[in-house]
Amino acid sequence: MSTADPCDVVVVGSGPSGAVVASGLVNAGISVTVLEQGDWVPADAFDGARRQWELTQLRKWHPNPNVRGRADDYPIDTDQADVNPLMFAGVGGAALIYGAHWMRFMPSDFRVRTLHGVADDWPFDYDELAPFYAYVDEAMGVSGQDGNTAYPDGAPCPLPALPMGKVGRKAAEGMNKLGWHWWPGSNAIPSRAWRNLQPCVLRGTCGTGCSDGAKATPDRTHWPDAINAGARLITGARVSEVTTDAHGRASGVIWIDRAGKRHQQKADIVVLCANGVGTPRILMMSNDRHGIANSSGLVGRRLMMHPFAAVMGTFDEDLESWVGPAGQILTSMQFYETDASRGFVRGAKWNCMPAGGPQSFRAGYGDGPLTDAWGENLHARVRRKFGRSFEWGIVGEDLPDAQNRITLSETLRDTSGLPCPKIEYTVSDNTRNMLDFHIARAIEAMEAAGAIETSTTRLIRDCGWHLLGTAVMGADPEKSVVDQYGQSHDVPNLYVMDGSVFPTSSGMNPTATIAAVAARNVLSLIENRREAVVAA
Amino acid sequence: MNPVLTDNERDRFDSLARIMLPGGSGMPSAETLDLTGSPVETVLAIDPSRIDGLKRFLGLEGLVANMADIETLAQRDPDAFGDLGVVLANAYFMHSRVREAIGYPGQEARDSSVGLSHEDLALLQPVIDRGPIYRDR
Repeated sequence: MSTADPCDVVVVGSGPSGAVVASGLVNAGISVTVLEQGDWVPADAFDGARRQWELTQLRKWHPNPNVRGRADDYPIDTDQADVNPLMFAGVGGAALIYGAHWMRFMPSDFRVRTLHGVADDWPFDYDELAPFYAYVDEAMGVSGQDGNTAYPDGAPCPLPALPMGKVGRKAAEGMNKLGWHWWPGSNAIPSRAWRNLQPCVLRGTCGTGCSDGAKATPDRTHWPDAINAGARLITGARVSEVTTDAHGRASGVIWIDRAGKRHQQKADIVVLCANGVGTPRILMMSNDRHGIANSSGLVGRRLMMHPFAAVMGTFDEDLESWVGPAGQILTSMQFYETDASRGFVRGAKWNCMPAGGPQSFRAGYGDGPLTDAWGENLHARVRRKFGRSFEWGIVGEDLPDAQNRITLSETLRDTSGLPCPKIEYTVSDNTRNMLDFHIARAIEAMEAAGAIETSTTRLIRDCGWHLLGTAVMGADPEKSVVDQYGQSHDVPNLYVMDGSVFPTSSGMNPTATIAAVAARNVLSLIENRREAVVAA
Repeated sequence: MNPVLTDNERDRFDSLARIMLPGGSGMPSAETLDLTGSPVETVLAIDPSRIDGLKRFLGLEGLVANMADIETLAQRDPDAFGDLGVVLANAYFMHSRVREAIGYPGQEARDSSVGLSHEDLALLQPVIDRGPIYRDR
């Protein structure tokens, strides 16, 4: 095993949280080594501008690592999961293939326990996080329309909104007829050239990677500057454990390269930013697979993944509904807050999305008789729906449940021979009731807009984009894994700074909040570093 | 580059394609496009992970005269049929004549800097007029 020179901080993961953390540290003069199991992915590797875009999204750029089957990813045992977790190993993390829906949480998201007597409050509130939202919005070149009436400060954005297009106007007309809230979408997609980002060209392929360098991903927004400032980013580096000394303090990490060689990286401080599945996996693999930082018993538990539903509407007019962004064209928070009369607590955010290319309307095997899926019916369906359809997507708040959890698989191994994560996850009755309510409202919105046909997807299995809650933060060491700044209660120089720390999930796409919380955490770490207790 | 499909496999693929994509609603048939040559080979070159499943399905014995026959074969090997569906659909929808027929230019580039129009902002005004909707902190 090779041993590198020690660094001040080793960061595991190069996605949005790892990028924010490493950038903050290196700009404060702190030496940082970052370990990323994937590789750099250049913009021209993505197929958005090529004819095969709809082909390669089915495997090569599919969000489910089990479908992609790349060596850089680790497989996941999902036999006992209602929802598949989605992720991507590469410089920039899963953001490389995210939709860049950039949403702040609502003020009520931080006070669920106080407001509704369920789950937990966050240790801080919207007002405290707002400056950090502004900080990461600026770094990511967020486009949007100021003054959103769903937020106390209007959720200002540094760049003007992307165009609404025919789809957005049609959706807005329906919402206005009903008197319901909507707002032009906020996206981490610049509408103007912004630092290392090109302006968006509305190609509508955000979810399979931006071939135009116009989506805010950390490989563009953070890493070039961080590396120039001295950050050391190592790719192909899969971390197998956090090492500890005789006093239980973190001493660094062990990582395995693509050839299977083991390396030791010593550091005063270890920061895990490996997402809500990867981070608890590393914690559980440490200490000879007995785990660390888990006196609460909550490492890996309380997994939240945001079950997702969608309503597609078809219209009797050309909407050019393959045009982006995708990205979200509009959002609605009309039914976001709790209304006890609905039979569930909390709510959901809606995002209006284009329908995509013609193969969006090709049914898969098992969706019905082949005579419906193919033949003249396929031709008729494509002509009727292609370019004339759009979707209201529904992101429902997923409340924490200790039984929804990650453990280490006893049988499944990754290409490094490490145990893969196993997911146990059941969609709750509260969530199912919530999605049913929202689907019914979204159908009303489509009909008000003039839809001649609607179709519903109640629960999409490949929807676990948002991996949250598996190393929860809080003040009580018996009820949380880390404190409000991500510092482990058990291992004082070990930090978690990704979405694992979220006490609740909100009904929002979480990357903006993951990045803002990471920015808040790293500022605290920098300010208090001289008091840090490090390994002997 | 040598073709991936043998002559027999191409014949079988052609038989299936004629039934599954007969044309209609202003869209061309598989027969008129001849998908068995460059279109299918291009798809397999881009995604070779489909080759094994496709060949497996093309090798299934049984009469293929109509959709019911294909359904019978599909039930024998659903995964292989899934690969056939992916290959056939992509060979078809990547074809220029199909795209022209449905008015699809592909995921083309457009100017995003035009932002919101006056019409968009007029639509937004009623939302603004209704005022804040967030729950009081």
